[in-house]
Amino acid sequence: MLAFLSFIASNHKHIMKKILFPVFVLLGLSSQAQIKADDVNSFTLKNGMKFLVVEDNSIPNANMYLFYRVGSRNEYQGITGLSHFFEHMMFNGAKKYGPKEFDRTMEFNGGANNAYTREDVTVYTDWFPASATEVIFDLESDRIASLSIDPKMVESERGVVLSERSTGLENSPWRMLSEAVQAQAFQEHPYHWPVIGYEDDMKNWKQADLERYFKTYYAPNNCVVVVSGAVKTADIKALAEKYLEPIPAQPAPPKVHQVEPVQTGERRIMVQKDVATPYMYIAYKAPQATHDDYYPLVLLSDILSSGKSSRLYSALVDGKQQATAVFSSYGESFDPTLFSINAIAGKGVNENDLEKSIYEELEKIKKDGVTDKELQKVKNQKLIEFYNQVETINGKSNNIGTYEVFFGDYKKMFEAPDRYNKVTAEDIKRVANTYFNKTARTVGILKSNTAE
Amino acid sequence: MRFFLLSLSAFIGLALKAQDYKLPAYQQFTLKNGLTVYLMEQHDVPMISVSAILPAGAIYDGDKAGLASLTATALKHGTKKYPKARLDEELDFIGASVSTYASKESAGLSAEFAAKDKDKVLDIINDLLTAPVFDSEEFAKEKRRTLTRLEQAKESPRSVIGSYFDKLLYGDHVYGNIISGTISTVTGLTTADIQKFYSANYIPNGSAISIVGDFNSKEMKATITKIFSSWAKGKQENANLATKPIAKPTGNRVLLVNKDDAKETTFYIGAPGISRNNPDYVAVSVINTLFGGRFTSMLNDELRVNSGLTYGASSRFSALKNGGSFVISTFTAGKTTEPAIDKALEVLKKLHTQGVDEQSLTSAKNYVKGQFPPGYETSGQLANLLTQMFWYKFDESFINNFQKNVDGLTLEKAKSIISTYFPEDKLQFVLVGKAADIKKIAEKYGPVTEVQIKEEPKKAF
Repeated sequence: MLAFLSFIASNHKHIMKKILFPVFVLLGLSSQAQIKADDVNSFTLKNGMKFLVVEDNSIPNANMYLFYRVGSRNEYQGITGLSHFFEHMMFNGAKKYGPKEFDRTMEFNGGANNAYTREDVTVYTDWFPASATEVIFDLESDRIASLSIDPKMVESERGVVLSERSTGLENSPWRMLSEAVQAQAFQEHPYHWPVIGYEDDMKNWKQADLERYFKTYYAPNNCVVVVSGAVKTADIKALAEKYLEPIPAQPAPPKVHQVEPVQTGERRIMVQKDVATPYMYIAYKAPQATHDDYYPLVLLSDILSSGKSSRLYSALVDGKQQATAVFSSYGESFDPTLFSINAIAGKGVNENDLEKSIYEELEKIKKDGVTDKELQKVKNQKLIEFYNQVETINGKSNNIGTYEVFFGDYKKMFEAPDRYNKVTAEDIKRVANTYFNKTARTVGILKSNTAE
Repeated sequence: MRFFLLSLSAFIGLALKAQDYKLPAYQQFTLKNGLTVYLMEQHDVPMISVSAILPAGAIYDGDKAGLASLTATALKHGTKKYPKARLDEELDFIGASVSTYASKESAGLSAEFAAKDKDKVLDIINDLLTAPVFDSEEFAKEKRRTLTRLEQAKESPRSVIGSYFDKLLYGDHVYGNIISGTISTVTGLTTADIQKFYSANYIPNGSAISIVGDFNSKEMKATITKIFSSWAKGKQENANLATKPIAKPTGNRVLLVNKDDAKETTFYIGAPGISRNNPDYVAVSVINTLFGGRFTSMLNDELRVNSGLTYGASSRFSALKNGGSFVISTFTAGKTTEPAIDKALEVLKKLHTQGVDEQSLTSAKNYVKGQFPPGYETSGQLANLLTQMFWYKFDESFINNFQKNVDGLTLEKAKSIISTYFPEDKLQFVLVGKAADIKKIAEKYGPVTEVQIKEEPKKAF
């Protein structure tokens, strides 16, 4: 929600993979300040709100990450984009702290905030000097207990999210293309529409929609809170009991019942935009985070596109020079998702040739598998990724919370090393054959001339 | 424990005091060839970060815009000892990242790797900086990619508006040079140009390297001294190119960049700013925080929160060695171009006529102090800080006295900061949008020069 840093992840396929694990398992390193499962203190309030706390005194700051299990996945046509809009409205006034007071109070106390909405979750992030911890609890409890939805604020905020949508489309062709591909790949499941919503729905949200959303999804029992930094768990517990425990629990939100039917044939879509060279987005159906194949698929994605020695970069950008950029992505989700391969064609390259070359690379892996060295390489890269993530208190909170809500338990984060380490070259070959099938594929191409 | 030494006792309500903040101990020494080295031990994670800074930025491009940038990129095309394929493979295998880039004034290298790989990666870094081979085949490929990217950048107003603005503000001064280059200048570049630029500007004297992370300083000092000592000293002929005076704007000017398919107008309103060594640097950042540097800032409050005209409005000072710029930056739907520009100007005017009050000044001070520590939390951030200290000639008092300097900003001083550093007139506008719809509006703010986004940017406007 913050103007300067803000983004909304309107496409779950562009979410960075966040994997933490103790790496000595992989490389036989002894690590010093390694975060362990025991370093995460956990308690649950009587109203069902779960807390995870990491004490870390490296800087005199702390953070609070609140993960609500609500996102565009919980919407339906007519109110698309409402989850993200609601994220904005959470900053626009409650009972004690009226319009503008949430941000003013937080900033006066040295704190800053942001938030992001994805298909599956909405996450609020507060960063503050540890001395301001109690103020943050007061602010959060006020808006969770008694948000007030001012119709005037609804109108000005509507302009803000319309501008957010438009500036995303204005500045990146990927936004337009990924929305088109997602809408083809998912025909019944709510991953069909973009997180930001359809423009006409954005202009049509009603006060009643917002009020119902708040009551249904912004309940303490639908939220996981992570606090990391220069704090003591006992103090956080006392503050949580004082400020958040009195908020009543609500009935569990309705289950998302749609299951996307099995895709039985390739789907193709063309989009027109004035661009220098064509953009390509190839998406295969892939499983959700709790599936056993999640781990080999993450490593497969790295083998394909992480670094200049990766399969796709070395073949298409460096070797044949058919692309100026290529990347693949696959990340955690609640429901079955997409594994995507994205490329921008080089000047004068026919995008059909580029597409053919991408399939050739995938076929090589399906037929011959990958080398042990390649596999070890991406396991080593995961180690560095881990260190980068636990180097900051924000990295800690975001990853712990993500594991808790997407994998069902933050402790899974500490099992991940073992899961990655156990992946074999044979597993990589198997998942490539399982998921890289023409019939489960959606291909999107964005280019200047779609009439040819 | 990483950066801020503090006595953390118990509970909420404990105010952490400014004097508790200290930059961790570091060592600084200079090799015989003039290379300045900084070492800082940080043992929280078994990782090492490296940052290097060299006097090889885009200000030395001459009429070959993009030369500094492509030279920096081409360092990674390999060396005799590490041909490109081997280089990429070795770095990828250990998960190490080594990137090279050019900015306006300097070129840089930054790297991150596991502590156990330090000998290998430091050897690679030394080889890249001191013995690149500039393979012509690799260069031809790089150039093709760069040219396509330059064309692609024109698809996004946000990625090109900055260089249009610098050209408008700095004119013929080298600070107006376009770092990425342009299609026509990059088309003409050859490996001979790169080699020549490299030989003239990649020299140890005038450069610095900082190493922060999990190592023993005594051993590291010996290693660095050994590997970097054979780098030959050089003489940079035009080292002081950027000290030439920067012409000041004499009136409002509007540069209208036409993009036929634009649905919004992306715009900057700016003026000359400050250089990094300005004694009021910290005070200026506090006032800018209040004006356009945070969510509740005057600009964002008016353009976003009150009126819903944009997703975000902000302002910033970009400081270089010999000058700098100030810009207000935002975007809005094409049809709301006029109210958005008017409101931005109104807020700027309000800053001058109404100033700031005690409450908002205190808030801004608390905010910059509260958000300061996370800016220096990681080894990479600290390595970068050390090379910035070298480049802009400031020392740890910037960190250690930061809180004190912020606290020392009085209302009276704030008033003089506003009148001295925030522009009131002679504003420089860049509007990227659909000219057919907004040209009339643009004319309201000053004489308009219209250019096409698809055309080559002019030498100066």
